[in-house]
Amino acid sequence: MKNKKLFRIVAIIGIAGLLTGGGVVLYMFNKPQRDVQSARTDYFLSSSQIVEEYLSDNAAANQKYLAADGDSKILEIAGEVNRISENFNGQKVVLLKGYQDKAGVSATFTPESNDNLDGIMVGQTITIKGVIRSGASYDEDLALYENVILDKSDIVRKQN
Amino acid sequence: MKTQSSRLFMIVVLVAISVMTQAQDRFVSSKTHIKFYSTTPVEDIEANNYATVSTIDQSTGEVVFSVPIQSFEFEKAMMQEHFNNEHFLESNVYPKAKFKATITNLDEIDFTKNGEYHAEIEGEMTIKDKTNTLNESGTIAVKDQSLTVNAVFDLVLADYGITFADSALVSTKIGKSVEVTLVAEYSKQ
Repeated sequence: MKNKKLFRIVAIIGIAGLLTGGGVVLYMFNKPQRDVQSARTDYFLSSSQIVEEYLSDNAAANQKYLAADGDSKILEIAGEVNRISENFNGQKVVLLKGYQDKAGVSATFTPESNDNLDGIMVGQTITIKGVIRSGASYDEDLALYENVILDKSDIVRKQN
Repeated sequence: MKTQSSRLFMIVVLVAISVMTQAQDRFVSSKTHIKFYSTTPVEDIEANNYATVSTIDQSTGEVVFSVPIQSFEFEKAMMQEHFNNEHFLESNVYPKAKFKATITNLDEIDFTKNGEYHAEIEGEMTIKDKTNTLNESGTIAVKDQSLTVNAVFDLVLADYGITFADSALVSTKIGKSVEVTLVAEYSKQ
């Protein structure tokens, strides 16, 4: 009788454990992508500052901004709009670049934030929030400077 | 004295022409799409990258792709985390992959004449700290001084030290080789 009760308790705990564990695994596996625009900003910089930081010490900047799991730092970058283009996915791409800088910050917008660029002109100063994907560097094989890449971007401030 | 000045002027002009010619021979693309697709009995996995930069030099046939690893976007966040972490691509230490190749049938491609050309390329792919030789083919469409490149090829992940030995969960969901599809639009620099 006692053994039967004990077995029942163990079975209930076991099943509850399996259900909880299964639920956690299922949640982990299907968890959504991070909402960059709702998340806290890690660093506030100008496009010139982050480009300079990368060009002076690439490894140190990678260590500071890039995360091992790909959820890298969230930045707010202020700079002058140098070019607005569109990628193969229909997302707007804004290049913020200082007049004398060797590279800039290339920020890819989302289908939701694309329209927030309506009316933004080349030469205008804006601040963009996004997650960094890679830094600026001179690539000898390409024979050109590569830009800092921001993704999941949106405008947070604009000057007229 | 006058002869020396003339000679110096001529050298400056020749260097300037050489630099200009070199620049005119190069096509640059920042409008790219690289997709990798993996299929297993458990699940099909797809990741897309729209942030790759590439150049083609029409006089030497040199082709270069610089691929930011963290720009690969997966539908599932967990897959993206595994893809980037230290057991797989270690993207915070090796943030870019590089493909540097040469078009081996350059004489069959007329970059000044509109049309679609078959291109054979031979080069080296570097992912993380591993480099392997790659021989592939694709097409180059020439239209009014701009190019569109299309290619599809397979990559064996183990060739780049990606073995999934540390994650049984992921190993069942990503195939041992992945299909890579790329398209890139180039304009003259």
